[in-house]
Amino acid sequence: MHPFFRRRLWFALYLFAWLVAGVPAALLLRGVVPQPERFALAFAAPLALFYGFAVLSAWWVCRTHPLSRDAATRTARVQLGAAVQCAAVWSAAGALWGVTLTHLLPEVIARPSLVANALALLAAGVPLYLLSALIHYLVLASEASRESERRLLESEVGAREAELRALRAQLNPHFLFNSLNSINALVGSDPEGARRMCEGLGDFLRRTLALGARDDVALGEELELVERYLAIEQVRFGDRLRVRQTCPADLLPLRVPPLLLQPLVENAIKHGIASLIDGGTVAIDARRAGDGLVLTVENPVDADAPSRSGANLGLENVRRRLHAFAARGARMQAESDGERFLVTLTLPAAAGGSGEGAA
Amino acid sequence: MSEATRLRTLIVDDEVPARALLREYLGAHADVLVVAECGNGFEAVKAAGEHAPDLVFLDVQMPKLDGFEVLELLEPRPAVVFCTAYDEFALRAFEVNAVDYLLKPFGRERLAGALARVRERRTSSAPVAPPSATALALAAREPGRFTERLLVRDGANVHVVTLDQLDYLEAQDDYVAIHSGGKSWLKHATLAELAEGLDPARFVRVHRSYVVPVERIARLELYAKDSRVAVLHDGRELPVSRAGYARLRELM
Repeated sequence: MHPFFRRRLWFALYLFAWLVAGVPAALLLRGVVPQPERFALAFAAPLALFYGFAVLSAWWVCRTHPLSRDAATRTARVQLGAAVQCAAVWSAAGALWGVTLTHLLPEVIARPSLVANALALLAAGVPLYLLSALIHYLVLASEASRESERRLLESEVGAREAELRALRAQLNPHFLFNSLNSINALVGSDPEGARRMCEGLGDFLRRTLALGARDDVALGEELELVERYLAIEQVRFGDRLRVRQTCPADLLPLRVPPLLLQPLVENAIKHGIASLIDGGTVAIDARRAGDGLVLTVENPVDADAPSRSGANLGLENVRRRLHAFAARGARMQAESDGERFLVTLTLPAAAGGSGEGAA
Repeated sequence: MSEATRLRTLIVDDEVPARALLREYLGAHADVLVVAECGNGFEAVKAAGEHAPDLVFLDVQMPKLDGFEVLELLEPRPAVVFCTAYDEFALRAFEVNAVDYLLKPFGRERLAGALARVRERRTSSAPVAPPSATALALAAREPGRFTERLLVRDGANVHVVTLDQLDYLEAQDDYVAIHSGGKSWLKHATLAELAEGLDPARFVRVHRSYVVPVERIARLELYAKDSRVAVLHDGRELPVSRAGYARLRELM
């Protein structure tokens, strides 16, 4: 819808301006085609109002034919065609109105040439329409810039929010409670192990905070975080938790968004390993794909468990975080055949900055 | 202290350190005898059948059967103390008359407090009534969700019947026969109790004694005046009462 239709007051003022412009138009018309003043005024004012409506049609033409270098001649042709059509309609309306007026004002003796009047409308209509198109293009450009500003702001806010949410999810309280319970247990039976676990937990938390504050990290750093995490969970799950990790050494320096892999591994344990009596293997793989990187986390799931769609906060968090990088082609895919669950992260080289600076 | 008066206690938790902690803490209480440690719900049901415990320390989130499902299967019902890192199950624990609810990590004093409550309940002149089967069944599923499977204890074994495989339920005195895939199991419950947790859009009580998944019904036949039978896809015929017919017509 034309933006004018949404602001009634503006629209009314706009039409009033056209009506007023009818007066000088009438005087101008008298200069070109001789006719009595009364007739010229009665002729021009309603037609000015009519054209005020008609040139608003440029809005739709401008929207469907945005200004661009590639399609310049085409756009010019379309706009010129629209201008001629619009002016022709006006001119035809003018001719009809002229005939009507001669009946309405029988006392006016000196009648102008109605054909000349119509031709004058045609001549004035084309540049007026083009002026309208120009103004519409300006309005569209300002709207577009405001929209893009808003979007930029939104995506920045969204990215910050996602980051905070990721950090909070990372410091999942239940993970902490269970870890503290394990430490509590170790204090009695294996004090040395309890100390190691305290150290590991502290190290994991510190790394999480440090990585979360950065825009991108080396894949190697992210994998180290995952290893710290797994070492803590190993105490809880014992031999139920088995891990297989493959990552070619040349991929380790690649830059990736931080805190994506660890939540996926946590998810694999929470919804996979923990639901199986004998546990299973979490497989973490990294491989090159073109310029980019593909990371996969795979785990077995309980085939008998009722499927819980939508209950997966961990995956949702990763998806949201990834959204901030989606423009650069990063994406996540989760699939399950009922027995295994596989999450695939595709990160183009650009997604975390392609710099392989760190050796 | 004689064996007979000690609290026969079962520890059920899928994490080894959590079990070790409980065992260590309980070692300080001479009146507690740990009869078994179990790493999952199936083991717990089996061990409870063998040892007839007075008290169970029960984790909530475990593979296959969660703590509430285990509790539903324990008969006679021992006193229960839930141990979990999650506080969101506390309300459900209260509904099944759990003696206490220990949030991990917990210390010796907190556990001693729970044991004191257990002893108090045992010696109290007005023992707390065991929870009804309905309360147990309701607590065994997540709030706001319908039952997705039925659990049946058969001696030391537990059968899990997922509702997708259910043919029909049939009331038999104090039991409900669960028919699924040509086999049937008896569960100690009333049909009304079981039907309460079922999705009313999928399961219809066609008769006082029968509940059927709608998708299993092939057709309805008029049997006599005002009396109908539901013919299932496998050819089996079940009686349909007048009220059952009204309920069916609403769904079909």
